[in-house]
Amino acid sequence: MNTMSVSDPGTPSPPADQARPRPASRFARPTAYGLVLGLLALLAWGLVQADSGPRGSGAAPDFTLTGFDGRTVTLSALRGQVAVINFWASWCPPCREEAAYLERTWRDYQDRGVVFIGVDWSDTEKEALAYIDEFEITYLNGPDLGTRIAQDYRIQGVPETFFVDKNGQLRGVHIGPLSPPELEGRIEELLAEPEGNPPPA
Amino acid sequence: MLNDVGLLALIIGFVLSVYAAAAAAWGGWKGRAAWVASARNATCLVFPVLTLSVIALVSALLRLDFRLAYVADVSSQSMSPFLRATALWGGQQGSILFWAWMMAGFVGAAVLRPWKRDRELLPWVIAVAMLTTAFFVGLSLFITNPFERYWLLPGAQELTRALVAPQGAMPYVAADGDGLNPLLRHFGMIGHPPTTYLGFTGFVIPFAFAMAALITRKGHEDGWIRATRRWTLLAWMFLTVGLVLGGRWAYDVLGWGGFWGWDPVENAMLMPWLTGTAFLHSVMITEKRGMLKVWNMILIILTYALSLFGTFITRTGVIGSVHAFAKSALGPAFFLFIGLTFLGSMALLFRRLSDLRTEHELEGVVSRETAFLLQNLLFLAITFAVFWGTVFPMISELFTGTKITVGPPYFKQVVGPLFFALLVLMGLTPLLAWRRHGLRSLARTTAPLLAASLVLTVGWAYLHRLHPAAWAGLWLVSFAAVSVVAEFVKGVRARMESRREGPALALLRLVGRQRQRYGGYIVHLGVLMIALAFVGDTYFKQETQGTLSVGEELAVGGYRLVFEDLRGYAGTDGRDIVEARASLYRGDRFLATLTPRRDFFVVQEQPVTVPGVYTTAAEDIYVLLVGWEEVGLQATTFKVYLNPFINWAWVGGVIIVLGVLLSAWPAPKAFSEVSYELRPSRLDRAGSAGE
Repeated sequence: MNTMSVSDPGTPSPPADQARPRPASRFARPTAYGLVLGLLALLAWGLVQADSGPRGSGAAPDFTLTGFDGRTVTLSALRGQVAVINFWASWCPPCREEAAYLERTWRDYQDRGVVFIGVDWSDTEKEALAYIDEFEITYLNGPDLGTRIAQDYRIQGVPETFFVDKNGQLRGVHIGPLSPPELEGRIEELLAEPEGNPPPA
Repeated sequence: MLNDVGLLALIIGFVLSVYAAAAAAWGGWKGRAAWVASARNATCLVFPVLTLSVIALVSALLRLDFRLAYVADVSSQSMSPFLRATALWGGQQGSILFWAWMMAGFVGAAVLRPWKRDRELLPWVIAVAMLTTAFFVGLSLFITNPFERYWLLPGAQELTRALVAPQGAMPYVAADGDGLNPLLRHFGMIGHPPTTYLGFTGFVIPFAFAMAALITRKGHEDGWIRATRRWTLLAWMFLTVGLVLGGRWAYDVLGWGGFWGWDPVENAMLMPWLTGTAFLHSVMITEKRGMLKVWNMILIILTYALSLFGTFITRTGVIGSVHAFAKSALGPAFFLFIGLTFLGSMALLFRRLSDLRTEHELEGVVSRETAFLLQNLLFLAITFAVFWGTVFPMISELFTGTKITVGPPYFKQVVGPLFFALLVLMGLTPLLAWRRHGLRSLARTTAPLLAASLVLTVGWAYLHRLHPAAWAGLWLVSFAAVSVVAEFVKGVRARMESRREGPALALLRLVGRQRQRYGGYIVHLGVLMIALAFVGDTYFKQETQGTLSVGEELAVGGYRLVFEDLRGYAGTDGRDIVEARASLYRGDRFLATLTPRRDFFVVQEQPVTVPGVYTTAAEDIYVLLVGWEEVGLQATTFKVYLNPFINWAWVGGVIIVLGVLLSAWPAPKAFSEVSYELRPSRLDRAGSAGE
């Protein structure tokens, strides 16, 4: 019965035969506290990091991407053209929703001064190549080694698409899959701008 | 005017909460009953007062009072009154107020109960619970206040949000609001936040009682467990329903054919559910055998801390997820509160560790006690694995500078086998005797069940693809199900023999008299149904994708989908719709016309995929409209999933609710049969082979 081992309020110490000394318990407390404090420190750091969202304006961070097929592209060399930078991954279901649409739009605009760059984030080459095959993607796609580009653009997930104007300025980001007519709309806007204009305030 | 009443009520609610916590702690420490009584009164008042705030906010939402910034954020003229009212929890500020309101309700109801026993716990229950309530009301009042307005400062490009006018600013009243995020306009997302919050906040009651028991040095008794049994059950039920509704929403709205993606936000809610389930079971052992006391404390502290942690990750974007919420100033406040709560309860537990002596030792390796200990270990292991997978991206970014993500393969591989083991336990434990169970007799009892479940499995596997892991999954589910059914059969037969009742009456009386136990078995059946849906999703799913012209078809698993038509039109509440019509056939038999579509909400620039689904008990045919050409009816791309057993997840959810209600329903005094009061020293059941 549950009242068997009630100690009366005046004697809180356990009877001798049940105070089994456990040497391991000397480290249990500091370890437990250490782990919890470590976790809290990690969360605090995470909080500080999380105060900024993906880049949406300013100069587009430059990068050089080596595609799966060996081609390379450097963003700063694309002045005078509009660049669409799409972050994706083969394991990302929403990315698959927009893949066909992205490829279709690329084929429409590839001779009109627009460059599509696919940045494959946090993925394996085999699956990425299978994904590219499946959707018959022809624009340049490459792995983001060390997630450097993703960190520079401060993406929070995939898919995210960044738009860069003819002067190398970031003109917005679209979080989530694109669907018609969003992509064409943005591209047409940026194509219509003359080169050399300062970006609006 | 009403808005001012709401704000005033919020202030009063905060003051009352702080007073209640302080007065209760003072009264408990000094032994002054008058202070405790006063604190109790204050506690019961907080809920009605906060109800005024909630009424004010809901009224503003319904009336589209765009003076309030929150109303402009989440409501709009094109939304129906029902949607406007549920927008109460559609954004950060409203949902925090909603959380605080529900917590106040729970605590008020818990404190209202007649405190005939466990009176020493009262002051500390109030102190701990109201401290938490004060925190949430304080959050709502000081950091994410729903009664803020928009102001326009002269010359500024952006609007300012504040309660009172900044110097020289004019009030800004929008002509129309932004409206609720279109992804949230679904019954699953309407039901998911309230049930989830009810689950999270409900666990504050057992937590407060546990802390009170530790403080008053009554942790070794099970008074606190008996007092909170129904609260724990209720909180657990709501958390489960919240999970199921979230899964249903993901299935219907996110459009990737699945219902659980191991996203950090999902994991955040799963972890307290895991430890909460372990806690629910672990306390049974304490009530019956006085064991696992330290485990219970650890589990309830973890459950509560993980609930706070879960809402912390969800609301602050600390761990990136494909569907992260908007940022706010909530982060530091939550962080401090989680830190203090967790460290404080840990410290308390360590100080009182010597009180929590076990009353019995484990006697046999094969026994019911061991099974419960094992389930604690397994649940904890799963929680740890999920936790690791969820925070690892942060650790990796901190130490290596590389931001990675941990995806479903990790979780499935690590957690899958652990869940398998849990299902085996679920099937075996009702057969095990207390203290010690002989292996030979265990084999004798288990053999017929194993045989029955193997027969069932072979039968099922015959109807579907053969895959070794799938067989194992199916067999496990059948084994556990057969075991549960066997319990009912045994009980009914015993009753029929001893009391000469007919089978129907015996079943009714059996379940009616022993609600806790048989309610629990019904919950297990519900859980098994959900497990079946997971097995189907993991092993038996089929999919195909293809681009069709009108009249062409896609085939999957014996079904044929024929593309008929594609049209575009403008829908209600501000969306443009592109809808495809397709006919579903099985062989030559026409089944249904499916209309998968893609909605585009013009104002929010938000596309929403709406699948066309054909539902049967055995499986779903789930069709997505993935792409189309604007001109002509060529090249329309569909993705088709065949999802077996998926609907058992939803049915399972309903069964769980029924089981919990049965288990928690108060039984009239006349019903309680003394034979169920098991005393620790004599626990042999009729028919078991203990000694």
